[in-house]
Amino acid sequence: MEQRPPSDLWQRLQQVPRHYIYLLLSGVIVWQLLAPIRLPILPSPPTRGVYDAIRAVPAGKLIVISTDWDASTQAETGPQTRAVLEACFQAGKPFALMNLASPMGAKLGNDIAVEVGKEYHAEYGMVWCNWGYKAGFTNVLLAMARNIPKTMGQDFYGKPVAALHMMQKVRTIRDVGLVIEITGLANMTEAWVGLIQGPYRIPFAAAYTAVMAPGYYQFLDSGQLEGMLVGAKGAAEMESLVNRPGAGTAIMSAQSWAHVLIIALIIFGNLGFVLTRAREKGRER
Amino acid sequence: MNPEIYVLWAAVIATLAVYSILYRENPVSRLFEHVFVGLSAGYMLAITWTQNLEGRWWNPMVHQRLWYWIFAPVVGALFYLIYSRRLVWLARLVMGLFFGTAAGTFFREFFPLYSPQLYRSFKPLVASRSVGWGEVILHNWIFVVILFTVMSYFFFSIPHEGRAGRVLARTSLLGRWFLMIAFGAMFGNTVMARLSLFIGRVQYLLYDWIGRYVPWVLHRGM
Repeated sequence: MEQRPPSDLWQRLQQVPRHYIYLLLSGVIVWQLLAPIRLPILPSPPTRGVYDAIRAVPAGKLIVISTDWDASTQAETGPQTRAVLEACFQAGKPFALMNLASPMGAKLGNDIAVEVGKEYHAEYGMVWCNWGYKAGFTNVLLAMARNIPKTMGQDFYGKPVAALHMMQKVRTIRDVGLVIEITGLANMTEAWVGLIQGPYRIPFAAAYTAVMAPGYYQFLDSGQLEGMLVGAKGAAEMESLVNRPGAGTAIMSAQSWAHVLIIALIIFGNLGFVLTRAREKGRER
Repeated sequence: MNPEIYVLWAAVIATLAVYSILYRENPVSRLFEHVFVGLSAGYMLAITWTQNLEGRWWNPMVHQRLWYWIFAPVVGALFYLIYSRRLVWLARLVMGLFFGTAAGTFFREFFPLYSPQLYRSFKPLVASRSVGWGEVILHNWIFVVILFTVMSYFFFSIPHEGRAGRVLARTSLLGRWFLMIAFGAMFGNTVMARLSLFIGRVQYLLYDWIGRYVPWVLHRGM
């Protein structure tokens, strides 16, 4: 049966063609990227937890940053990685990048580290290194707990990990002061917590895409996570803590106004529904 | 010409082609979807070789003459015997080995993963020297009420009849409301995530592509 076109404004509000909504949303985003109205960014306790955990790493201990993300989540995880690396460089804490899943993350994380490292004059192998992509996931975690250089073998550039200057005193997981997992994948945190954080009491923090973050608040409440970055919002908050506004901050102003638009559309759509139904009931009487 | 230009234009064309699905289903969008999947699979193969197999398996076997590494792919290939009725038992052997390893690892993970969450659920419900009434009521009582009502929603052993049943019906209804609020918060986060990804692409198109030719755009974004 052919659908009758909506007769009045309230009915039309419930049937706005999706193309118009996409256009409107794109317009708001472009407007905010070109003429941003910056809203204050106040770091939340979970973000501050990550920042404090980085600064609290004892001298002589290494930070391991697992960049298990790829191009599909780069808008969120890219700025998160950059902000976390900025915090490590500013605090003067040595770190090693690694990758257990989504192998693109080994290269994408490396690109960011090279770029940020140049700004801080940090030499590869002295302050930071990249262990590269290691297939095997849980087996890699079990093995690295006992012997990191042997488990990692060669780094991202094909050099032996054991030969890197900053790895001379790193033997087992006990030489690691903090693990930070940056990911858009489920089950990574479970493996890290179950096999490393829990048994060896290694502090653990994470940066998640906003989709998956709600599923990990219980880890924060139980103290298994020192802190957590939630999507682009977490990246923007971390950027404000390290005082280096970047892509995360730029995303948030566009994001905030896009949310205002979506809320307005939901209100209008529901208003149209309620008023149409009220009028139909009135007619029936 | 700078090779970066080709990379830039390739990324722009791919982005616009994939987003063309927002208008309607079309072959260009499909084509670029397949290109993306193919690229990811190819990259996975290449990086598995360069970062893992070459250093851990090929070099020891070929350059260090550790010949016994030749048996590693033979054992791996046993998986494919699942297609042979006569030799399927060999495939079951390696599968059993993998299932056993996975189950053992999961068992090892289980207690460090869930026990801290379990015992952190036991929260004080009265104020003490270290915890004030404000925190007890705001955090602990709300936590415990939500915990019990949501658990009661998943308690299906008692019919919602009689006095106890009616109490359970009310608590489970409340639990359902709390679950709906949680799902709403999760969906809100999903909207935020999807928008972030879209904004990331718009940033690329605006700053990296248009900004390259129209410096005003790049200047506005800074």
